Amino acid sequence: MNKEVVLQVKNLKTHFTTSKGTAKAVDGVDFTLHKGETLGIVGESGCGKSITSLSLLRLIPTPPGKIVEGEILLNNKDIVKMKEEELRKVRGNQISMIFQEPMTSLNPIIPVGEQIAETIRLHQRLPRKPAWQKAVDLLEMVGLPSPEKRAKQEPFQLSGGMRQRVMIAMALACTPEVLIADEPTTALDVTIQAQILELMKDLQKQIGMSIIFITHDLGVVSEVCDQVAVMYAGQIVEHRNAKDLFKTPLHPYTQGLLSSLPNIHENQQELQTIEGSVPSPYDYPVGCRFADRCPHAREICRAEAPDLLETNNAETKVRCFMHTEKWEVIEEKEELVCP
Amino acid sequence: MSITTKSPILEVNHLKQYFSLKKESLFSPKQTVKAVDDISFKLYPGETLSIVGESGCGKSTTGRSILRLDEPTEGEVLFNGTSMTSLSKKELRNVRGDIQVIFQDPYASLNPRQTIRKMLQEAMSIQKVMPKEQMEARLLELMSLVGLRPEYLERYPHEFSGGQRQRIGIARALCVNPKVIICDEAVSALDVSIQAQIINLLKSMQRDLDLTFLFISHDLSVVRHISDRVIVMYLGTIVEIADKDSLFDSPSHPYTKALLSAIPSIDEQHKKDRIILKGDVPSPIDPPTGCRFHTRCPFATDYCKKEVPALRSLSETHQVACHYAESLLKEEIV
Amino acid sequence: MLLFIAKRLVQIIPVIFGVTLVVFLIMQMVPGDPAAILAGEGASQETIEQYREDLGLNRPVAEQYMSYVSNVFQGDLGNSLKNKQPVLDEILLRLPITMELAFYSILITIVLGLAAGIISAVKPYSIRDVSVMVVALLGISLPSFWLGLLLMYLFSVKLQWLPVAGWDGPLNIILPALTLGVGGAAIVARMTRSSMLDVIGQDYIRTARAKGLKEHFVIYKHALRNALIPVITVVGLQFGSLLGGTVLVESVFAINGLGRMIVDAIRTRDLPMVQGGVLVASLVFVFVNLLVDVLYRAVNKRIDLN
Ligand SMILES: Nc1ncnc2c1ncn2[C@@H]1O[C@H](COP(=O)(O)OP(=O)(O)OP(=O)(O)O)[C@@H](O)[C@H]1O
Ligand SMILES: Nc1ncnc2c1ncn2[C@@H]1O[C@H](COP(=O)(O)OP(=O)(O)O)[C@@H](O)[C@H]1O
Ligand code: SF4
Ligand code: SF4
Ligand SMILES: [Mg+2]
Ligand SMILES: [Mg+2]
Repeated sequence: MNKEVVLQVKNLKTHFTTSKGTAKAVDGVDFTLHKGETLGIVGESGCGKSITSLSLLRLIPTPPGKIVEGEILLNNKDIVKMKEEELRKVRGNQISMIFQEPMTSLNPIIPVGEQIAETIRLHQRLPRKPAWQKAVDLLEMVGLPSPEKRAKQEPFQLSGGMRQRVMIAMALACTPEVLIADEPTTALDVTIQAQILELMKDLQKQIGMSIIFITHDLGVVSEVCDQVAVMYAGQIVEHRNAKDLFKTPLHPYTQGLLSSLPNIHENQQELQTIEGSVPSPYDYPVGCRFADRCPHAREICRAEAPDLLETNNAETKVRCFMHTEKWEVIEEKEELVCP
Repeated sequence: MSITTKSPILEVNHLKQYFSLKKESLFSPKQTVKAVDDISFKLYPGETLSIVGESGCGKSTTGRSILRLDEPTEGEVLFNGTSMTSLSKKELRNVRGDIQVIFQDPYASLNPRQTIRKMLQEAMSIQKVMPKEQMEARLLELMSLVGLRPEYLERYPHEFSGGQRQRIGIARALCVNPKVIICDEAVSALDVSIQAQIINLLKSMQRDLDLTFLFISHDLSVVRHISDRVIVMYLGTIVEIADKDSLFDSPSHPYTKALLSAIPSIDEQHKKDRIILKGDVPSPIDPPTGCRFHTRCPFATDYCKKEVPALRSLSETHQVACHYAESLLKEEIV
Repeated sequence: MLLFIAKRLVQIIPVIFGVTLVVFLIMQMVPGDPAAILAGEGASQETIEQYREDLGLNRPVAEQYMSYVSNVFQGDLGNSLKNKQPVLDEILLRLPITMELAFYSILITIVLGLAAGIISAVKPYSIRDVSVMVVALLGISLPSFWLGLLLMYLFSVKLQWLPVAGWDGPLNIILPALTLGVGGAAIVARMTRSSMLDVIGQDYIRTARAKGLKEHFVIYKHALRNALIPVITVVGLQFGSLLGGTVLVESVFAINGLGRMIVDAIRTRDLPMVQGGVLVASLVFVFVNLLVDVLYRAVNKRIDLN
């Protein structure tokens, strides 16, 4: 509980201005990441996971994107306000990233060893030879067979799993405090995914970094994460300890998500579904963004937007009126009005 | 459902699909990708048979060969007892109406400049399913069947979300009254909540229209949910075929076991020993000798490196291609 | 790689045959009787016949071609009809001049084109980008002889900074090379820009930025090298049209290069001279293309696999 805070994100808003209007891709995200913790960010495609992660390192393509509000505090320094120079010292050094497509995220014509070594030379001011040697050592650490040979090869000569190992080696080159992994195993086969997840867990133990793990796969989250933040329509709707979240989801969206998952361990007749579809980021409703699909929605849900609030348990945050005192009061009133 | 008493609607016998690669230089040997290498299976009317396996193991190629989108290198495919390879162009076209396919990304296969109405009408008139006058009624019926509003008929593909496009893909497959539908990763690109909607739709469709599904997927949770029987493929060969329950409850091939154990689960109870396989899937250009899985199998012996294991029956509904399947099963019981 | 070069060299042989055939056939079809020209105006019919006999012009066409090809492969391109000197000697005299001109022109094409393309791509849709691209569009649409005259008028006649014509010093090279190179530079600039923009949008550029690399590192080390791959092909093609352009530019600036030689030879119906000139120019083009192919492969190792 009194663990050290590494990264704190407050009311982050990243919007895109296009000819169609303003897409509020990330619209008020708050979370806190503690030392050594793995925070999972889950949600369906388009809910703003990737834009959140890119915002953390200010890698949003501008224009059309822009961080319009909020703070990103890394050890109490605001990344949003940093100068380019300062920011570059954070990137790849204190915070590093792994992306979804190991295929396209590596430069196709530069040997993978050099792509790792250049980061080391940059941030640790090592000369060429030792930097290269360190790159080879890192490749060995991430379990790439014959690392000396592989280091000299271009990415196309490596398989998808090997490329993702290279990406991990690159991200860990300067022993970052925070590793952001955006769908790092989504493009991989399950048996390879299992290898990579295992590797990430091991390395976290060795290095002791914090991880933000972004994925749409709830199974993966429950395998690797301590804390989970569920995103919906640009906001976090539930943020809690992973075990509790999967046992007793509180937000109606989380509940729907979990029950629409086919279970591999038993036979089910029909899958639960969440009817309807996600609202457009160009035009969110005034009230709760989930109201149109929520089986519990009431009048107040359409009139007012719920905040992400702590429940009776201080470690649990939910954005839903159902878990506020308002709900009970309203319930009584509504019963009075319409008997 | 006693499957074995029925006669199969589709039968695949010793199917091989090789692709020759362009030579790298004048003197290098000619290389062939053995995408599918001698597989046989039967599909019975009304069932859902799934094919699972990792990327590149030959799932899609199998589907394409059945549809004769690629001409098979060897082997035959029987539809209702008649060989598809012997059919004339015209007969083949008729059979194509009976076997339809739904792809992962329907957007890639929808003409962007055609409204949904136009597209469905065209598909129906090519197959001559019904006179023009009845088409309109059928269009409306199809739309309600796949859960789309009738006014969407006038829209273009780009105006739909992923889930809606998949519904359109399903409507297009259904509009010619097929008997068999091959679903190639039909729900893989969808979000879980949408995926659940489409899976439910496919299942209800099967009940109401008496359809047979060949369901190609890499997602084993979905496969467990939707199938009656499951085929597991590895590097172009079938390593295990079984009814769903025996496959998931007592997988017999070491690869199937590893595959099942690798699936991340949200279920606390089932987070037990994970079998982590070493290395990558070998290249299908020059697959390993003997058992193709021996390079990654924790139980491999010298014998496995030499002898190709045949697909043997463990029980009436369970076949496996591993030399040591029985003893491995027993070991686990002990 | 060596194997690839060897293979391409082998492939060139039929191309050379093709070139000789085309050159030969075109010369068969152009109007004008070489024998008559050689004999001079007012020569008697017998003299003309005599010349025709000497030149072998009344043998069957196929036979003429065969002997032409076998001569070509022995390095004999025939003798000029005008001064009776071997064509090859004349070409060897002129070729270096044209090559020098072509070299400086393509240098201008590459340096100017790349620089403009990069400047544009780094800040797309900025004023800088738009103005560079407008200039490039002008450069593409200007006919080179007109540009040549314009430059000549401005720098040689008005300002008198540079010599009007001739080929006697380094200052002489500037104007013709500019004239020839600018059009190509404009094309290369546009290609570089679009290729750079494409590359800058790629995931690996985002990765490079995420590592904390300085922006100029991102541009020059990670983006430019990938963006150059399609540009190489364009430069190769540009070289072809540049060779064609020498014909005009050498005439405008009175340079005694291969291009001007061909023009003169055409005017005087000096057939062997034209044939030899075109043949050599074509061979240069074929070899430059080979060079481009090799370069392309060296930069882009991925295509080795497919
Ligand atoms: N036209 C082709 N030419 C050459 N090789 C091919 C061709 N089509 C498929 N292959 C190869 O055949 C093998 C099987 O391919 P297939 O598409 O059937 O895999 P899959 O099991 O469907 O994989 P995924 O899960 O990625 O869809 C692969 O190694 C693939 O590269
Ligand atoms: N360049 C862009 N222009 C306009 N909208 C964008 C852009 N990039 C992303 N968006 C929008 O932002 C939202 C969140 O995107 P993203 O974070 O990539 O989602 P995901 O959760 O799948 O990672 C989506 O609705 C997407 O359409
Ligand atoms: S606030 Fe209302 S509509 Fe929103 S999730 Fe809670 S109950 Fe549903
Ligand atoms: S045959 Fe041998 S190598 Fe193949 S799966 Fe069985 S034990 Fe493993
Ligand atoms: Mg994403
Ligand atoms: Mg496939």
